[in-house]
Amino acid sequence: MVTITLNGRKVETQPGRPLLEVIKEQGIAITNLCYIDGLEPYAGCRTCIVEIEGARPTPLQVACATRVADNMVVQTDTPAVKRQRQAVMSMIMANHPDRCLTCHRRVHCMPGDICLRDDVVTHRCLTCSKNYRCELQTSCEMIDMGEFEEPWVGESRSYYEAPPPDPDRGNPFLEFDPQMCIICTRCVRACDQLRHTGAIALSGKGHTTMIAFGTGGPIHESSCDFCGACIDVCPTATLMEKPNKWVGRADDWTNSTCNSCAVGCTLSYGLAEGRPVIVRPDRINPLSRDQICVRGRFGYDAVGERERLSRHLVRSGERLLPASFEDAVRRAAQAIAAVRRSDGPGAVAVLGSPLATNEEAYLLRRLARDVIQTPHLDFSHGPVHRAVTDAWRAAFRTERLPAELTTIEQAQTIVVIGGDLEESHQIVSLRIKDAVLKRRARLVLISSRWGELVPLAKPWIQPRPGHEAQAAQALADALAGGEPGAVANVVPERMAAAAEALRAGRAAEGPFAVVFAPSAVGAAAAGEQARAAANLAIAARGQAAAQHLHYLPSDANVHGIADMGISPAEGGRSFPEIVEAARAGQIKALVVHDDNPLLNAPGTAAIRAALEAVDALIVIDSLRSTTADLATVVLAELPFFAKDGTITTADRRILRQRPAGRAQRDERDGVAVLTALANALGDVMTYGGAGDVMREVAERVPGYATHEAIAQAPGATRALGPAPTAADRQPLAAAAPATAGDGLVLVTGRSLFTSWDGASIRSEEADKLHREEAVLINPRDASDLGVRMGDEVVLAAGGAEVRAVARLDDGVGPGWVYLPHYFAGGAPMSLFALDGAAATVRVRALQRA
Amino acid sequence: MPLETEARAQVRALIADLKPNDGDLLQALHRIQHEYGYISREAMEVVAEQLGLYAAEVYGATTFYSEFRLEPPPAVTVRWCGGPACLVRNGRGIRDAILATLGLQELGEQTADGRVGTWLGQCNGTCELAPMMWLEEHGHWDEARVVGHLTAARAVRMARALRDGASVDEVTRG
Repeated sequence: MVTITLNGRKVETQPGRPLLEVIKEQGIAITNLCYIDGLEPYAGCRTCIVEIEGARPTPLQVACATRVADNMVVQTDTPAVKRQRQAVMSMIMANHPDRCLTCHRRVHCMPGDICLRDDVVTHRCLTCSKNYRCELQTSCEMIDMGEFEEPWVGESRSYYEAPPPDPDRGNPFLEFDPQMCIICTRCVRACDQLRHTGAIALSGKGHTTMIAFGTGGPIHESSCDFCGACIDVCPTATLMEKPNKWVGRADDWTNSTCNSCAVGCTLSYGLAEGRPVIVRPDRINPLSRDQICVRGRFGYDAVGERERLSRHLVRSGERLLPASFEDAVRRAAQAIAAVRRSDGPGAVAVLGSPLATNEEAYLLRRLARDVIQTPHLDFSHGPVHRAVTDAWRAAFRTERLPAELTTIEQAQTIVVIGGDLEESHQIVSLRIKDAVLKRRARLVLISSRWGELVPLAKPWIQPRPGHEAQAAQALADALAGGEPGAVANVVPERMAAAAEALRAGRAAEGPFAVVFAPSAVGAAAAGEQARAAANLAIAARGQAAAQHLHYLPSDANVHGIADMGISPAEGGRSFPEIVEAARAGQIKALVVHDDNPLLNAPGTAAIRAALEAVDALIVIDSLRSTTADLATVVLAELPFFAKDGTITTADRRILRQRPAGRAQRDERDGVAVLTALANALGDVMTYGGAGDVMREVAERVPGYATHEAIAQAPGATRALGPAPTAADRQPLAAAAPATAGDGLVLVTGRSLFTSWDGASIRSEEADKLHREEAVLINPRDASDLGVRMGDEVVLAAGGAEVRAVARLDDGVGPGWVYLPHYFAGGAPMSLFALDGAAATVRVRALQRA
Repeated sequence: MPLETEARAQVRALIADLKPNDGDLLQALHRIQHEYGYISREAMEVVAEQLGLYAAEVYGATTFYSEFRLEPPPAVTVRWCGGPACLVRNGRGIRDAILATLGLQELGEQTADGRVGTWLGQCNGTCELAPMMWLEEHGHWDEARVVGHLTAARAVRMARALRDGASVDEVTRG
């Protein structure tokens, strides 16, 4: 530790740290327009000038590029410092509309006032969308730019000389207005060094320097993922969120957690008039820290307020009519009770959802098991999740893997088994990129599909879909000794290279990360892959394997709801069995909470038949989903961002969701809905809210804690069970045949831009970019089928047909096609059978492009 | 994953021997401009893949150098010399006359049909020919025709003939 004197005060700090960060930590306000915490200083804006005693050649130095040294004496507020900052700022503003920023009368100026200086409207802060939340504006105020007498006063500024460059407003997420840009290059460095996306660069030179996306075209044609890291760092109105751009000045902020995937990035929702209008990363989750993805940032805006349910609905003949909460709950309870009376509790089944909070899941389990007393309780991804956790239990005697995702960044060797993590679990993908690009970790990727991790993988092993487990097992065998066995369609040299990388990784100290992200469809395949992943981790790390094995479930709170007991009880039916039983008339009432099996689960035709067959279908959801359309009663629930509770992330971290936004009309919190329904069925639940429920959960479910306890250690509370007591290798079944007969194997996966909410109501705008609305076909198959780029094709299997536009793509191998899971409201699910086994589709061209 | 089209494969073949971290970016851009007369977006993407760069970095480098073109070149380029000797002998008047004849606003633009384009040339020291320009046909960069001792009237005549479809040979013969 060294001691420096900061504005006369002694401060202790680590030596060699950037002085600017130390100054900011001490709560001293200092202007800085180009520095990004944690990155190498750029020292471009020079507005962080401070006075350092004895510094050469001048005491005035930029704080960002100065490293702290012992006995440094620093002044941040001398007149000389202020004057220098003003001079620098004056030059920065030569190419920015500055009339308000340099106006000494600005404090007297009210919105709507006519400017006494007669400035053009478009040059004033009052007409800028970033007014009052602009870093440049604040910086000008901090150094009193209105007082600064410029030596070049009267000279016209370059900003007012040239016509402004065109803004890019062509995409639904990010607005780019280059006329506001001060070329601080924060966005360029954030995109490159924080995200490894590199979609932004400086273009041109000298006076015409500008930031540009990709190869200079519109943003949506570049490699931009719309994560918004550039928006977070932009000090001006150059890069802004498009949704709510003009109302994004939040009155209040609420810390919460994203529920779009199992990573559980912590978010801060900015609220205006009781609804979220802006999202910023919140640093509580140590994995996500200051980064989130497009789904986290814009998910709250995926569907409009009017598309959400604000009233409860009760079926009257063909129609669903609005009803009061009390009436709707009574009708729902009557319908369930009627079935229970006539056919017994076993004729009722309950479906939960990984989009729900732990508290809701706990109440749903109580509703099913204690109140209705049915053993038939599951969720649509339940079979896949249980196939995986069965493998963990067989191998480690526990399903609660202790591995922490944050260790991926320290790993020297990373094996990924799954689809495209960039699309399904983007922040984990980002941390893998961090490890590879910053710490030279070796990545072995087992994925049948191209993804952004492919260029970083050494090597990429591309088995045929369904053969991922065999590839992983071959590598596990190779680690146990000998050469890896042959895997269909994989070049032996690549297997050998992967085996060599893994051997080196096993010999080295430190984390050896095996990251496993199963598809949401296909329990049998997921189980095989889980066994192979466990075998690989065991081959690499022996008894400590569970510390190095990371399981990324396909949806947000899969771990949490499974811990709360959303799974079939003794003698209970699993999801596909519930569907079959409902079709056969054995199950007559179905309660569905937050789930839309028509979107989520394979076998759409069977599921639809089941939903139509039951006497009572009670849906609790915030959307009038395709399932809700068939309901007897729909109880309107608050959307995910307005929920109170907790979720359990992929590495079993318990994170808080806090309500951001309030009810539009009559929709209720999930806890309130489930409590009311249980009480109407004869129970006496007295929970006042999620906090009460969690107190009970903390007593009854091992590893869980109360909201108060979680608040004591935010981001660090994990729901772990007893430590693994074994590390047993599991045998794999024989590989499936390598050919798919006369059709093509259908593969699906979670797409990045398509929202769950939008897909659930079959919104045209579920994929706002319209980038993921295509079926990817290998060029060789396409030419065999006579399909060209952009042709409309029909995919047919098991009596169902799906139409999509064909996109020829080298990222899919010959013999299979890729269609995103959420395409057209989950239409690909109709091509699978109920058990999610590999589907073979016939593809034919319908219409020439 | 971008589809490997024939056009991309051609660009890839052109720069196949260039390696990442080898300072080969400008070499790659030169080869592509020499071959195609300009650097297309697709070509920039291929260069980025080949050299392990981001496409945006390649774009940034390409736009830094004014001699790299981002649009297909015209059939004939009028490269106007902006050197001091040419300027003192009414170079600006000649430039304006050419631009007005072709209906263009500034150097670097080309006619809507892609037939004639203009470009700012750099003084090569043959100031005895001032005021001068070079006429270049697409694909024959090495055989630029020097037209010296220009007058505004001759420049307009030439520009008009080029605009109307005459070849460089035809306009320089007389």
